[in-house]
Amino acid sequence: MTNAVVIKDLEWKYEHTTQFALRGINLEIPENTFLGIVGANEQGKTTLINSICGLIPHSFNGVYRGSVEIYGSPVLKMSGLEIATQVGLVFADPEAQFTAMTVEEELVFGLENTGYDLGKIKERLDWAVGVTMIGDLLDKSPYDISGGQKQRMAIACVLAMNPPIIIMDEPTSMIDPLGKQFIFDILRKLKDAGDRTIIVVEHNIEQLAPLADQLLLMQDGQIARMAPPAHFFDDLPNIVGSGVYPPEVTSFAYWLKQSGYVPPEQVLPNRFDEGVTLMQDALRNARDNR
Amino acid sequence: MSAYLEVTHLDYNYPDGTPALFDINVSIGRQEFVALIGQNGSGKTTLSKCMNGLFKPTSGSVVVDGIDTRGKGVVKQLVTRIGYVFQNPDHQLFNDSVQKEIAYGPRNINLSANEVQARVDEAARVAGVAPELYATHPFFLPKGLRQRVAIASILALKPRTIIVDEPTTGQDMRQSVEVMEFLRSLWQAGHTIIIVTHEMSIVARYAQRAIALRGGRVLVDDTVRAVFSQPDLLKQTYVEPPQITRAAQRLDGLSRHDVLTVEEMQDAFRSAISAEASQG
Amino acid sequence: MATSAEAPGGVRAAKLRKTLLGYVPIESPFYRYHPVTRLIMFVFFGVVPIFIDMPEINFALVVCTILLLVWGQADLKRLRIYMPMIVTIAIFMFLVVILAPGNDPTFTPIHIGPLTIYYQPVYFTFASYWRLMAMLFGTILYFSTNRERDMLVALRSLKLPFLASYVVGFSIRAAGMFMEDFNTIREAEQARGLDKSALKLGDQVKLYVMYLVPLFSIALRRADEISHALFARGYNFTGRVGHGNKRSDYILTQYTMTGMDWLVIAVLMTLFVGAAVAEYGFGAFRLPHSPINILLHHLLGLGWPS
Repeated sequence: MTNAVVIKDLEWKYEHTTQFALRGINLEIPENTFLGIVGANEQGKTTLINSICGLIPHSFNGVYRGSVEIYGSPVLKMSGLEIATQVGLVFADPEAQFTAMTVEEELVFGLENTGYDLGKIKERLDWAVGVTMIGDLLDKSPYDISGGQKQRMAIACVLAMNPPIIIMDEPTSMIDPLGKQFIFDILRKLKDAGDRTIIVVEHNIEQLAPLADQLLLMQDGQIARMAPPAHFFDDLPNIVGSGVYPPEVTSFAYWLKQSGYVPPEQVLPNRFDEGVTLMQDALRNARDNR
Repeated sequence: MSAYLEVTHLDYNYPDGTPALFDINVSIGRQEFVALIGQNGSGKTTLSKCMNGLFKPTSGSVVVDGIDTRGKGVVKQLVTRIGYVFQNPDHQLFNDSVQKEIAYGPRNINLSANEVQARVDEAARVAGVAPELYATHPFFLPKGLRQRVAIASILALKPRTIIVDEPTTGQDMRQSVEVMEFLRSLWQAGHTIIIVTHEMSIVARYAQRAIALRGGRVLVDDTVRAVFSQPDLLKQTYVEPPQITRAAQRLDGLSRHDVLTVEEMQDAFRSAISAEASQG
Repeated sequence: MATSAEAPGGVRAAKLRKTLLGYVPIESPFYRYHPVTRLIMFVFFGVVPIFIDMPEINFALVVCTILLLVWGQADLKRLRIYMPMIVTIAIFMFLVVILAPGNDPTFTPIHIGPLTIYYQPVYFTFASYWRLMAMLFGTILYFSTNRERDMLVALRSLKLPFLASYVVGFSIRAAGMFMEDFNTIREAEQARGLDKSALKLGDQVKLYVMYLVPLFSIALRRADEISHALFARGYNFTGRVGHGNKRSDYILTQYTMTGMDWLVIAVLMTLFVGAAVAEYGFGAFRLPHSPINILLHHLLGLGWPS
């Protein structure tokens, strides 16, 4: 399988700081997989994705060692535009990324930068608008729509560019529950399409875990753990200790396992329906065994 | 329970004429822990701003400890009764040192210099702002600390009721727990806490009462346990009870389905088994 | 406790379109015209008063703009926010001319009780005031009925380079964000016990200086975010793309000029050029031709004005 991103021995220190924000990072992200990144604040999650999308080292000053390659090209040597066509980035605060006065202009802004012809722009625009369900917002000002709509617009902007890699940095942290659900629906669609590499930093593990092929825990500038969601929580107390709270059904299943209500080889569920099934079975078995 | 904050037939229109709240009737007593929940645009933040007099009722009234928010010159009286912590600390830090920042409110209500200093020290201690930071410019503090300074600056006014808009947005789980534990300690010390939030696990763990809003009206106002027992009603304002609560509602054979936390679920599980055992 | 299951929907249908200074209905007749036409109308109403000294005509222009606002279904109530400005300018201008009229023997003194005013400078001020009002109302008309997008489309249609129109748009946007932050900061100050109505003027000035702290810190943090966002979107500020081609401009293709647009532009341009020629060629709109001026001259026994 081709790797979309390969990081080798990456170290990064922002200028005017004494500690390295990233240390000894080695990571391979296979093409068309979904990577979820979790961890407490200030542990290096955002720094890690900034180094994949080229903001580090292009827009920040600091000490850079090791390498980050996107489809074999080192980020260090690529131009901003080259990176932008490969990697799309969605920020936590959708307001920060606005550059235009209406949603439609915002959407075509990046496309216009690529120099596509008008027909191609229209085609991309329509597709991105469809996936993110914002067709009725096109002539509105980005400032007159809700936070969730803003974030969908921000995602549409990135999709319109059709990059093979999409990175989202806490895309739901500033929006309401309905808006969050829309974002996860979009992520589900993108994952099911299976033709894109997706990297998402997110505190909402309940929603993230069922989508991810791999979960990665950042702690103290290092990759503390990386595993498929089914085994990511095996050492649950340590995960909690790092400031990350597992889905509640996972925590409860862990307790069931520790208390002997389910066998030790039981795989911990992370999806809600799997969790309910496991709980129901455990309850039934425990009562039958009395 | 004597009402401390009385909202009666409150309608509120934005300055551009858009109606935002319709006939709100809410009564909040001393030492309550209330969560305002509901989707964006449901009116939670607008209601919270009406509660502390930042927004004046279009019709109806808001009375805090006997003071009508529409009265002339009531600002100084209100701030010592009801404080408001904004979501973004950057909007509420306008002094060039932490010390001045916390002292700003007490100075506005014309306290003596000694009293101001005493208030600063107490508020900073309670909010966890170390005296070594007094001379620092708030701009250079990390976000978590800026938020603490913002809370300290409200605490220094010693309001009985404190409204906090989105206390956990942008924070990780550990920081959220820290902020919420701190608000809980204030509540236990006798304050009324009102939070505006989207985080239902936070509501389940910390609040006693939840007021869900929808389209500018009160959808339901009850204990958190009772509110989360009505998932279909909450769906109207796009609120989902915590995952463990929803799981418990789906399980057969539990003696109770209204658990709010994983720990409560463990108790419910154990008692379901032992109840079965004692019967059999 | 209260439960209402049948509360009406939380979504409000948008009937109004937010403009730079207010709201107009989505189906306002203004939107049948291309943004360029509307920009030219702005130039007409904003600049034509420069050619015109006669207060009668400038007054007529003010009436015209108000009629256009009514026709465009703008909310006239919002005009009230300009009243303080309109009154303040009048007071200031007349005070200056009454207290410091200048020293010219040809001026005609008029005695009102103990006060002596001079006719010519007062009438000149009266005329200037209406010229200013005509320009002000022209501006209000444009900004109350156009959105940032309209302005940018117009500028780009007139071949302004993309970067320049981006900067114009960005400034407008920054001003909007600035006002929003400013409002929140004022609320935050009130929440800390500041009663502005009880402040002395000196303290109010100090207050505005204080606002600068949060406004700057927010602006600094935001500037960083915006430059990162531009980088992530592949923009390089030259208006060129990867291989040196020009950026395409998709939005412009969404607007087309109609016959009505050309007609309105033709009429406005003709009037504009006509006014310029009449003024600079023949002095048609100078004060000696002002009917009120002529009437007052006769009432004061001064004969024909010159």
